[in-house]
Amino acid sequence: MLTYSLLAGLLFGLYFSLVGLGLNLVFGVMRIVNLAHGDFLMLGAYCAFWLYTLFGVDPVFAIPVAFVLFGLVGLPLYYLLVPRLLAARDPEMLSIILFFGLSQVIEALATIAFGTSEQSIPGGDLGRALREGWGRLTGHEIESGPVEIFGQSFPSAWIISGVASLIAVALVYLYLYRTRTGYLTRAVMSRRDEALATGIDVNRVSAIAFGIGIALAAVGGVFAPFMLGSITPAMGVDSTVVSFAVIVMGSLGNPLGTVLGGLVYGVSYMLVQSYLSSWANLLPYLLLIAILLVRPSGLLGKRVRLA
Amino acid sequence: MKRSVLALATLASTALATSVFAAEAPAEIKIGHLYASAGRFASISMPVDYGFKLWADQKNAEGGVFVKGFNKKIPIKLVEYDDQSNTATAQTLYNQLITQDKVDVLIADSGSVLTSVAVPIARDNKMFLIDPTGTGAAFFSKDNPWIALMADPVSTIWPKPVADWVSQEGPKLGIKKVAILYATNEFTGTQANAARKFIKDSGAPIDIVFDQGVPTETTNYTVLINNIKASNPDMVLHFGYAANDIAFLRNMADAGVKFKGLFCIYPGIETELLEKNVGDKGLQYVMTYVTSAALQYKPEFGMSLPEFRDAWKKKFPDNKVEFGFNSIAGYTTGLVLEKALGEMASLDQTELRRAVFAQSGKLKTLDGTFALDELGGQIGELTPLGQFVPGEGGHLKLNALYPPDSATAKAVYPRP
Repeated sequence: MLTYSLLAGLLFGLYFSLVGLGLNLVFGVMRIVNLAHGDFLMLGAYCAFWLYTLFGVDPVFAIPVAFVLFGLVGLPLYYLLVPRLLAARDPEMLSIILFFGLSQVIEALATIAFGTSEQSIPGGDLGRALREGWGRLTGHEIESGPVEIFGQSFPSAWIISGVASLIAVALVYLYLYRTRTGYLTRAVMSRRDEALATGIDVNRVSAIAFGIGIALAAVGGVFAPFMLGSITPAMGVDSTVVSFAVIVMGSLGNPLGTVLGGLVYGVSYMLVQSYLSSWANLLPYLLLIAILLVRPSGLLGKRVRLA
Repeated sequence: MKRSVLALATLASTALATSVFAAEAPAEIKIGHLYASAGRFASISMPVDYGFKLWADQKNAEGGVFVKGFNKKIPIKLVEYDDQSNTATAQTLYNQLITQDKVDVLIADSGSVLTSVAVPIARDNKMFLIDPTGTGAAFFSKDNPWIALMADPVSTIWPKPVADWVSQEGPKLGIKKVAILYATNEFTGTQANAARKFIKDSGAPIDIVFDQGVPTETTNYTVLINNIKASNPDMVLHFGYAANDIAFLRNMADAGVKFKGLFCIYPGIETELLEKNVGDKGLQYVMTYVTSAALQYKPEFGMSLPEFRDAWKKKFPDNKVEFGFNSIAGYTTGLVLEKALGEMASLDQTELRRAVFAQSGKLKTLDGTFALDELGGQIGELTPLGQFVPGEGGHLKLNALYPPDSATAKAVYPRP
C-alpha cells in the first residue's frame, strides 16, 4: 500500500508539475497571478474532448493542437490585459482581481457552450493511434490497459501524462537556457526594469511567455479527462488552487521548483488519501500554510521575494 | 316564495364570496427556487430545475395552477437564482428569496449539500421548505416542522434494499467481506452510515474490511481502489455523487480492477450521464438503485414516464442536460405542489404544510407513491436494488434484484 501510494504520488505529482508550470512561468516573468490558469486548463480539456468526439483525434495529437491554439490565444490576450496591468501601482493585487474576473467569464461562457454535465474520453483511447502505429511498424501490438512499474499496476494515462510533463519541463528549460528569447526571458524574470533599460523588448518577451504559460495550461487540460475523472466548465477553480499551491511550494518563478512542488504535492496527496482519506482535499491549503511559515521562498527559493 | 328567497340568498352569498375571493387572489404565485448551473452539483441540479420548469410552463400554458382558496387558476412566477453549487451563495440567495422577493413557495436546490443551508433558514423564517431531493437525515427532526422531501427516499432508509441484499442474500453467495467507500457529505455520508448500521444490525456473518470517507471533491480514486483491492472484499459499496461515481468507475477500468460485486448510487439515477462517461462496458454488472426512470409506475396524477420523456425531449432537444431520475424528481415536485395548491384555503405556510402532508399515501405519480413520515422524510418512493447486465444488441439492461417482490432477475455474482 505504501509503495503504491508513493509511486502513484510521483506520477500524479508529475502531472501537477505540468499543470503548475505555465502559471509559474507567467508569474516569474510578469509578476502577475493568473487566476484564470485553471480555466485555460479546462478549455484545453474541452479542446481535446471535441477533437476526439467530432473527429476521433487521439488526445495525444490534441497536445500540439492545444499548445499552438492556446499559445496564439495568449499573445493577443497579453497585449489586451497585461501592459495596462503592469503600469498600475500594484499589479500583483490588480492581477488577482482581473484574472479572477476573466476566470468567471470563461467559466460562464464555457457553461453556455458545453453545458454543465460531466464529459470524458475513454481511458484506453489516450495514445491509441500511437499504439496502432507502433504495431504496424514493428508487428507487435501494444495492448491498452494498465502498465506495471515495480510490480505495481498503474493506468497507462498516468504514464503518458508523466512522460508529457517531463518533456514539457525539458522544453521549457531548453527554451529558457538554449534560445535567445529564453535568455531575454530570464533577464526580464531577473529585473524587469533593468531589462527594459537595456533595450530588451520586454512586452514581446512577456507576451511569448504568457502565450507559452497558457499553452502549457491547455496541454495539462488534455490529460484532465484521464487524471481528474471527468471535465466540467467548473473544474478550473480547483486546478488553479492546486497549481498555486504547487508553485508556491516549489518557489515562485522557478520551473524546477514547480516539478519539485508537484512531486511533493502528489506524494503527500496519495499518502493522505491512503491513510487519512477524509482530509485529502485540505492538503493544498495545509502545504501552502506550512511552506509559507517555514520557508516562504519555497523549497528551491534562495531568498524571500520582496513584493 | 320561501324557497325563492333561500335560493336568492344562496346565490347572493356565493356571488359575494366569489367576489371577495377574486379580490383577494394574487395575480401570480411566486415560487422561489435555486439551481446550480455550474460546479460540483450542476449535473444533479439542472435536471431537477428543468423538470420543475417543464411542469411550471405546462401549468402556465393552461392558465396557471388551481388554488382552492381562490377557486381559480393563478399563473406561476418562478423566481430563480443560480447558486453555482456554492453553499455560501445559496445561503444568501435563500435569504433573498424569503426576505426580498417574498416568495409564496420556497423550493430548495437539488441534493443534500445545497439543501442543508436552506433548512435552518426556512425554519427560522417559518417558511415551509419544499425539498426535491435533499435526503440528509439531519434535515428531518422533531423540532423542524418546516420541511418535506418530495421525490427521493430519505437517506436513512434509502440504502436498505442494498444492505438487506448484502446481509440476507450475500452469505448464500459467499459474500463475507464488504468494503465501504463514501463521499463525506450529508447525502452519501448518511447512506453509508445507514448501510453500515443495517449490515451490522442484521447479525449476518459479514465483516466490513474497508471503511473510508473521502472528500466529495475527490476526482482520482486510483490509490483508493488499490487499497480496497488489497483488503480483498467480496462486495464493494461506493456511495458518492455522480462525479464521484464517474471518476471511481473510470479509474477502476483504467487500472484494470474488477471487484466481484460493486454497488454505486448514480448509474441508476443518472443512467444517461454515467453511460456517456463510463461506457456500457464500465457499467456491466454494477449494482445500483432502480429508480422511477427505469420502473414504470402507473400514475394517477400527471404524465406517465414515456409521456414525460417525450415532453422532455421536445422541450430540451439540445440534450445539454441529461434525462434521468433527477428530471423526474423535478417534475414530481411540481406535481406534489400542484396537488397541494389545489387543496389549500390560502397561501399561508402552515396551510401549505398541511396540504402537502395531506397528499401522503394518496398521491401516485410516475415516481411512485408519495408518502411522508411524521418528520417530512420521504418513505414512499422507494428504489429497489438492481444490476446492469448486458442486454440485447449490446445495450445495458437493468434488472431489479431486491426486495424479492420487486425482483425481475437473480444477481449475477461474482461478476464474470
